[in-house]
Amino acid sequence: MAATLFAKFVPKHGWLPLTQTVRHGSKAVTRHRKPLHILKQKLLAVTKYIPPPQPFPRGAYPSESDHNQEDNGLMLLQKKDLKKIFEDYKMIAVVQNNCGNAEDMVILKHRLHKHGISVKFFPNKVTRPFLINSIYCNMAPLFIGPTVLLVSKEPKVKEMLTSLRASPQMTLLGACIDDTLLSVQGIVSYSKLPAMTVVQGELVSGLTMLTSHTASLLQRHPAHLSSLLQQYIKQQNPNNGTEASPTAEQAT
Amino acid sequence: MISLIKSAAGGLTGVCRVYGHQQVLSQCCLKTLPAGLKTFQVPPDYSDVFLPSKPKLKFLNKVPNLKKAKKEMKKLRDIQGPAKASNTFINGQYAIVALGGGYLRWGHLEMIRLTINRKMDSKTTFARWRINAPYKPITRKGLGQRMGGGKGAIDHYVTPVRCGRLIIEMGGMVELGEVEHILSEVAKKLPFPAKVMSKESHAEMLKMQAEKEQNNQNPWTFKRIAQGNMMGIRKVLSPFDLHNHGRYSGKFHFPERV
Repeated sequence: MAATLFAKFVPKHGWLPLTQTVRHGSKAVTRHRKPLHILKQKLLAVTKYIPPPQPFPRGAYPSESDHNQEDNGLMLLQKKDLKKIFEDYKMIAVVQNNCGNAEDMVILKHRLHKHGISVKFFPNKVTRPFLINSIYCNMAPLFIGPTVLLVSKEPKVKEMLTSLRASPQMTLLGACIDDTLLSVQGIVSYSKLPAMTVVQGELVSGLTMLTSHTASLLQRHPAHLSSLLQQYIKQQNPNNGTEASPTAEQAT
Repeated sequence: MISLIKSAAGGLTGVCRVYGHQQVLSQCCLKTLPAGLKTFQVPPDYSDVFLPSKPKLKFLNKVPNLKKAKKEMKKLRDIQGPAKASNTFINGQYAIVALGGGYLRWGHLEMIRLTINRKMDSKTTFARWRINAPYKPITRKGLGQRMGGGKGAIDHYVTPVRCGRLIIEMGGMVELGEVEHILSEVAKKLPFPAKVMSKESHAEMLKMQAEKEQNNQNPWTFKRIAQGNMMGIRKVLSPFDLHNHGRYSGKFHFPERV
């Protein structure tokens, strides 16, 4: 107040006096918040904190702490088992287990066991880091939710498909057969293929049949062979066939 | 192990299949036992914890020992704004942190002292004051006295506490879960908002505050507008606002503001 009064008494142009009032006495009550000037209220409203935008909702992606979890002894053991499975077994099928009870699983296991296919359980926590770091990294997206591995030393796809058909709660997702990643359609078409030994036998028999055929031909009379050759030449040039035939008749 | 048990179970059902009539009965009782490896947490290492010879809270004087007690002004500065002193941990791990300003009376200090000394285990835990004994005189006029006649006599003494100050520190061979119930019981009785914090959570709170300030998406901050005196806003702001950027108003603290 004194300062304002003072300012009024100094009629000096070009000089801005300090127009701050001096407070007198105690007006500060600390029990409640002080009433704010409207301009200050507006300022506080304008300068509110705005959080940075989240590009994706919370929990949409696994947190970073999940990736950096330390392996305990059990996980290391399971990883070792998994590595062994991928080395030893030729067929590794990934099956999703949709709310099947223990009884169904036991029946399925028994059915698969007849064909030498075994069922392996591994937590995704173990499987995914193992697959991502190995050459089978393309298989990693198959391991979501409750998954089960069906493994066998021989690629017995047809037997596996027939036994899986009886249990509808098991969904086949894909398989790695002879180091080849196959989709469900791929597995079905693979199962329609004949066995390897059969194909090999067919090939060998086809090759041997050709040689035996030529050998039997060569044992025939030379005149028969020459007539055959002439017929072959005729067949080779069909446009000359009509002209060639009379000359051939004249020659004979 | 799991596979072994499961294969055993599979074998059992295989056997049951042979005896068809027993199959249903045995499969109801069949239970697949899960097996796993339990990993216990490593117990915390207390080898570096030093227990002082007197682990309990000291008695604090109700009245300071002065030759001549002098009346003072209200001096509300001493509860407004953030605490400049004793706002970090010294030798404890858990503390009661004030989240607003206020005055602690001797009665509050006695309540804290008695509660904590009674409930804590003095063999493994220690507690330390982080505030001084009441030193600020508060004057009152006597009952039935007429107004006027100058300032009243000194009635009692208080300890002013600013926001962010530690009141009590606890430490020793204990975890937060063991002392939290003691500290929170005390914290809710204090005349200002207070919270139980550990050293880590306190550091995290400060870090979050700094992060918030860093990542604020609002280009118009209180600091920028006030320091630039945009549209003459300094007319309605106090010097106190210039320092604290609207995060404090008197003894109150607004944690959501940056």
